[in-house]
Amino acid sequence: MTRYIRTAVILFLISAICTALCAVVNEVTAPRIAENVEKERISALEDVASGLAIGEEVQVGDGTVNYYIPLSDGSATTGYIVELSSSGYGGAMTIIASYSTDGSVLAAKMMANSETPGLGKKAEEPWYMEMFTGLGGDSLLPASKSDLSADDGAAVSGASITFGGVSSALIAGSEFVKGLGGAV
Amino acid sequence: MSHMKELTKGIFKENPTFIIMLGMCPTLGVSTQVSNAIGMGASVIFVLTCSNIFISLLRKVIPESVRIPCYIVIIASFVTIVEMVLHAFVPSVYEALGVYLPLIVVNCIILGRAEAFAGKNGVLDSALDGIGMGIGFTLSLSLIALIRETLGAGTITLFPVGSFSGVITVPGLSESPVRVLTLAAGALLLMGYLKAFFQWKTARSNGGEA
Repeated sequence: MTRYIRTAVILFLISAICTALCAVVNEVTAPRIAENVEKERISALEDVASGLAIGEEVQVGDGTVNYYIPLSDGSATTGYIVELSSSGYGGAMTIIASYSTDGSVLAAKMMANSETPGLGKKAEEPWYMEMFTGLGGDSLLPASKSDLSADDGAAVSGASITFGGVSSALIAGSEFVKGLGGAV
Repeated sequence: MSHMKELTKGIFKENPTFIIMLGMCPTLGVSTQVSNAIGMGASVIFVLTCSNIFISLLRKVIPESVRIPCYIVIIASFVTIVEMVLHAFVPSVYEALGVYLPLIVVNCIILGRAEAFAGKNGVLDSALDGIGMGIGFTLSLSLIALIRETLGAGTITLFPVGSFSGVITVPGLSESPVRVLTLAAGALLLMGYLKAFFQWKTARSNGGEA
C-alpha cells in the first residue's frame, strides 16, 4: 500500500512541477501570442478588403460564420468580410474571406490551421485561394476536386480533406452573404 | 574523452535517422522545406536536451513501474514550452511546423533516448547525448529537406533576413522540378537511397563488406 501511495505522490509531484513550469512560460508568452494573432488578423482583413473601407465587426457565431464586417466604397455596402470556421485534416481551420454582395468571393486567406506541411499547408499560399476568386455569385464554387480544372486538381492532390474544408466554408460564407444582401 | 564520444556519436555513428531509424514520421513529413527542417531540428534539440537532463536528474526518484508516464509528462511539458515560445517569438516557424510540433511528444528519438540513456546515466552525459542526437537529427533532416526542396521545387527556403526574402531559386529546376520528391513517395525513395549510402559508409569504416 505504501509503495502505491509513494508512486502516486512522486507522479503527482513531477506533474505539478511540469505544470508550474508551463504556467510560468505561458504567463510570459501569452500576451505576445495574443498580440501576434491580432496583428495577423488585422493584416488579413486589410489584404482581403480589396481596397474597400472596413466597417464595424458584427458577431454571428453560428458554428461556421464567426463574424462579418461590411465593406463599403464610401457610399454604399459593396461587400462583406466573413470569418469562417471549418475543419481539415489536422483539425480546426479559420478562414477570412471577402465577398461581394452577390456572394462571389473577392479574396480569401487561410488563418489558424494545423494542416500537414507540404500538403494541406498549401492552402496558405495565395494561388490556392485564387481557385475560388470570382466564384459563388452566378457561377458555383467548387465543392470537390472533380469540379476543378486538371491543373488545379493536380495542385491540391494529396490534400483533399483540406480542400473540402476550405470549399465548404467558402460556400457557407457565400450563402450567408447572399442572405445579408446589400443592406446592413 | 568519453564525454566527447557521447556528444559526437549521434551525428554519424549512431545517427538517429539514418542508423537507428527513429523519428521517421516527422522526418518524412517536415522535410519538404529547409526552413521547416531547421525549425523542427532546433525544437528537437531543445526538447531532447532538457528532457534528458530532467529525466537524468530524477532517475533515482522515478519508480520503475511509472517511468514511462513520468517521461511522457516531462517531454510533453518541454514540447508545450517550445510551442508557446515559437508561437510568441517565431510565429512563421510555428505555423510552418503545424501538427508536427505537438507530435514531438511521441517522437521515438526523445522517448527512446530517455529510456535507453537518460534514465541510466548521469546528467552531463545525458545532456551531451541529447545535444548530439539532436544535432544528428537536425543535420539528417536538413540534408533530406535540402535534396527534396532543391530537386522537387527548385527552391531553397531559409529564413528572411533584411532585404533577403529567404527563398533561393535554383535556375533550371524551378521551371521543371521533380515533383515526386515533394510527395511522401519521393521522401521514402530518397530515404532509402540515403540509408543505403550511410549503411555502405558505416560498413566501409568498420572494415566490413559494403
